[in-house]
Amino acid sequence: MRPPLSDDAFDQLLKYARLDLTAERKQGAAAGFAAVLALLDSLEGIELGETPPATAFDAGWE
Amino acid sequence: MQPYQLNIADAAQKISARELSPVELVQSALDRIEAVDEKLHAFVLVTGERALEAAQVAEQEIAEGRYRGPLHGIPIGIKDLYDVAGLPTTSSSEVRQDYLAAEDSACVSRLTEAGGIIVGKTHTHEFAYGVITPTTRNPWNTDYIPGGSSGGSGAAVASGECLMGMGSDTGGSIRVPASLCGAVGLKPTYGRVSRHGVTSLCWSLDHVGPLTRTVRDAAIVLNAVAGFDPRDDATSRLPVPDYTEALNDGVTGRTVGVPSNFFFDDIDPAVEGAVRAAVEELESQGLSVREVQIPYADQMLALEYGLVVPEATSYHQAMLRERGERYTDEVRIFLEAGELVLATSYLRVLRMRTLLKRAFRQMFEGIDAIVCPTVPATAARVGQDCFTFPSGAETSVTEAYVRHSAPANLSGLPALTVPCGFDATGLPIGLQIIGRPFDEQTVLRIGHAYESATDWSSRQPDL
Repeated sequence: MRPPLSDDAFDQLLKYARLDLTAERKQGAAAGFAAVLALLDSLEGIELGETPPATAFDAGWE
Repeated sequence: MQPYQLNIADAAQKISARELSPVELVQSALDRIEAVDEKLHAFVLVTGERALEAAQVAEQEIAEGRYRGPLHGIPIGIKDLYDVAGLPTTSSSEVRQDYLAAEDSACVSRLTEAGGIIVGKTHTHEFAYGVITPTTRNPWNTDYIPGGSSGGSGAAVASGECLMGMGSDTGGSIRVPASLCGAVGLKPTYGRVSRHGVTSLCWSLDHVGPLTRTVRDAAIVLNAVAGFDPRDDATSRLPVPDYTEALNDGVTGRTVGVPSNFFFDDIDPAVEGAVRAAVEELESQGLSVREVQIPYADQMLALEYGLVVPEATSYHQAMLRERGERYTDEVRIFLEAGELVLATSYLRVLRMRTLLKRAFRQMFEGIDAIVCPTVPATAARVGQDCFTFPSGAETSVTEAYVRHSAPANLSGLPALTVPCGFDATGLPIGLQIIGRPFDEQTVLRIGHAYESATDWSSRQPDL
């Protein structure tokens, strides 16, 4: 599991992502991010092996 | 019966026989909008003058023997994510108030070439990022939501403001409002219909398709809009059949799977009862039924959001930085969250999508379709946050609706919702039919067989 993000670390992360948020907005963003992160973390246990992503680049020009 | 109450097939029959003029039909739809849209707020914009001009042209063409087919002269609503040349595409957002479309989206172009007449643009949840459509109300009871994000099209079709509404579906946004408003909704296979000119939410999951009053009408619209388009890389070159051709062939010899997990885990008993009764009706017509297990059920929501959140943020990144304050809080929070998702997390989801596709293929061995509830509960009250199911589970309204929709978005499989009853408060219930890739014909055929044996689709709300 990931360690929880401190307020300072979250501030840095927001700056890194070029998000300039008010204190109130930071609270909302933190809750939204935590919810998304929890969903993504729930996928960690699935073994992927050699499975490629479900995308395929088409080199054709049409 | 007023002209606006006709379905497309019946109206087309009358128009082609010159028993009904497109002008009369379009005027009837516009009068209906005038009469009920104050209560529903289904439309962002009504294009009455433009529609009547187009109807006069259609009338003239038909009088001269140049009948184009079953959409000629039919009043249609276009979700306000689709570009229509000369009209704004606001995506129901302050962020896009000044956006004017220079050209028609692929679907609008194909629909108008087929003779469809646009009566207006219908509301969506802001940028299709939600399943509520807060601007709009449910025509069966205006204290309830119409669902979303194609809530304007759902409310408009069900109330008679137009005979067909186009929608888009990334996590149920065609099927949810169709089910909640008592309409038919078709999410075609991923790549069957071009998304060119439709505002993106998530390139990996976005689908476009129609909301109609009958299954036949959905087939008629699919005939017009399906097919390869070099401007949408996801579109398929597979030939487009006539989707109306086999509608009456029945279900004898066909086999469907009814999920024993996931779709019936947390569900309103009224919805479960109606769906199981619908399965029995289909069985009585010769359909074989067997149980199936939905794979990756526990991961479904994580996969859906794991694609939507970062892709939506990528699309909105510039607008978020330039005018983030114009988004609603609800949408903005998720757009901001998407800035912080790691690329490796996103790729994990894409790799899992490959596994999910393989697992669905295996599950479909020996069956033609899955039959299940479209959503686990009927329309939520305006302002309602969550549902409490008999198991005691409390689920947010959004999660409940998206949960049942996500399997067909993630797998890309065609999915149809057909009305299959009403709950005790008079709100519609939907039956979902999910088919094999590019086999919309079977999905429509099963839906039509069920619809023909019942009268749910013919009921209209009393506004």
